[in-house]
Amino acid sequence: MARRSILARRGVAVGLVLALAGQFAMAQTRVDGDAARVELRLRYDLSQANPGGPIADANARAPGIAAHASSHAVAEAELRGTWRAPSVAAGRPAVTAAAVIDAERSTLSHSHVTRADARLIEGFAAGDFGHWQASAGRKVVAWDIGYGFRPNDVVQQEVRRTLLALPQQGRPLLEAERYGAQTATALVWVNPHHANAASDAQRGAAESAVAARAYARDGAADWHFFGRWGRHTRASVGTALAWVVSDELELHASTRLLQRRDGWQIDPQAMLAPRAIQPWRQATLGRAAQALVGASWTGEQQVSLITEWWYDGTALANREWDDWRSRNVALAAFGSQGGLPQNLITATATATATAANLAWQATPFAAGNLRRNNVLVRLAWQPARWVVSLEALVAPSDRGQVVTAAGQWQGETLRINAAWRSYGGPADALFAQLPQRRAAVLAATWSF
Amino acid sequence: MNRATAITLYAATLLIAFFGMSAVHAGSDVTALLVAADRYRGGQGNLQVETEVQVRNRDGSPDKERRYTVFAQAQRKSLVLMRSPAEQGQKVLMLGDDFWLLLPGSQRPLRITASQKLLGDASTGDIATLSWADDYNGKLVGEERCGAQTCLHLSLQAASKGVSYQRIELWLGKAHGEPIAADLYVHSDKLAKQAQFVYANADAPSTVTEMVLHDRLSHHKETRLRYVSRRAKSVPEAWLNPMFLARNPALE
Repeated sequence: MARRSILARRGVAVGLVLALAGQFAMAQTRVDGDAARVELRLRYDLSQANPGGPIADANARAPGIAAHASSHAVAEAELRGTWRAPSVAAGRPAVTAAAVIDAERSTLSHSHVTRADARLIEGFAAGDFGHWQASAGRKVVAWDIGYGFRPNDVVQQEVRRTLLALPQQGRPLLEAERYGAQTATALVWVNPHHANAASDAQRGAAESAVAARAYARDGAADWHFFGRWGRHTRASVGTALAWVVSDELELHASTRLLQRRDGWQIDPQAMLAPRAIQPWRQATLGRAAQALVGASWTGEQQVSLITEWWYDGTALANREWDDWRSRNVALAAFGSQGGLPQNLITATATATATAANLAWQATPFAAGNLRRNNVLVRLAWQPARWVVSLEALVAPSDRGQVVTAAGQWQGETLRINAAWRSYGGPADALFAQLPQRRAAVLAATWSF
Repeated sequence: MNRATAITLYAATLLIAFFGMSAVHAGSDVTALLVAADRYRGGQGNLQVETEVQVRNRDGSPDKERRYTVFAQAQRKSLVLMRSPAEQGQKVLMLGDDFWLLLPGSQRPLRITASQKLLGDASTGDIATLSWADDYNGKLVGEERCGAQTCLHLSLQAASKGVSYQRIELWLGKAHGEPIAADLYVHSDKLAKQAQFVYANADAPSTVTEMVLHDRLSHHKETRLRYVSRRAKSVPEAWLNPMFLARNPALE
């Protein structure tokens, strides 16, 4: 309670400072393109728990062991400003800061949790040094060109296909960029503060790495070349192409080859029996490949269609998911086998251990892609103030599917978003075993 | 050959020569007319144009207002910065027939097609395109009455594949060559919009102060595109690099 109060007070204090800073930014930098912006957002997330899958099985054995948050109500303010050194030179040094202050009320089963927070999502200094431009601080550096999957987004590593696009928190980095008429080069050292940290302290996007992107425009085609050297994942190289074929059609493709990768691995000793500790862990694994091919078509009637296929070799292989499913079946059967303890205390302990192990089986769901092969189709209609879209993501290997319907209305300062998503497919499909069965979000955003 | 016949033949020869010459020079004459017409919209130099767009519904009620900063540069290059709260941070870069879009908060410039450029509230092509001479081939249809004055009716066909409108029927004032009205046709040859050009002083037009667009394709709305200010501005080469869209350059 005391901690919650401190957090709330800290949020209010930081909020006041940032509000004043935002006003100052707006007054000082109104001439810049998008230098000052304030957004207020109210959001309500609803989630329906899946009656099937390992989490449901865990809760059936030990109610509440993996509590499902059924709703979140969030109020947040995003403040963004750029301060420039008082000079008439076009490339004068600048400091950009963006912060989010939020308060959230979550409902878990029949209890409520309230939280207040303030966080800096971007804060960096930038300046020109001859032909090069440099930035240092926390910044969003977003690369690659696909819609549903971006294998070469090696710096920010943004989560794709979210129900609602929310401001991202940038990564700590040092960046140097150079721009020509047809080419651009960027060099980034991301997470420099993790350079000497242990591998387990810098998994995924938290890994200290140097990365480079070279861009070249060739008429109707954009070429991108990427390279990355991670502290423990070593080298990866990639390329991407966006090609406008006609007034209506654009084709795009991305590929990436990785020397090593971070991924989920189960303790080889876990086999089919319950373990006393979490058997899943992030580990540095061997080489992998990623690829995406897609097309985007837009017609005169404001209708657009995106289709993409991608392969993600960093996802668990079908064989590993088969082992995962076998373990689920074995864990579910555990406790109902003959010869097991008969007294109540031991039976309860067994049920709890089984439930915990089943809950841990949801661990590898925390991945960008569950299956290696994926197909996405997205149809959108954009008349005047509206954007309406219907999207389907299908994993052909188990015919699991995620269907998303979304709508947006844009007023002068107010934007309304609504989205609904359903996970399904055959009972043994991975998407049909996720903790959520359905999710929805309703948001109102005021921009100033 | 009697004298009357000789005079007739001479006159016929002169007429043939005149119309032949006219046919040969018609294209270049139309180009000259378009270059002159473009000057009324400021389409021939490197400019920074502040633009306000007001959209009204069919019943005249206000629908929306938008503000844009347009850097219109030589060789059909334009950078459009959206300045209204609803769109702030959105940018469109047009390099000839190639287009890129940056959405607010994405930090990721996207290559878009000509059709995608037309999505959304306002056609970026209407806002950013200030030149017909570079993008269209035309022919003179003839002289027509435009209200109280005589106009030259030109029919323009797109010479570049990335333009918003495939065909434009354009009426220029005969006395000054200023744009008076235009019918804008999309690629399927449907009439999309009808445009009227407004001047501070219609009797001595200097620059277009406002373009009024009537939507004929779907919602029948009226869009008033007002040029708030124009000034000479050559932007650094880097600003016209698609990857630079993710940066936030100082405009002053």
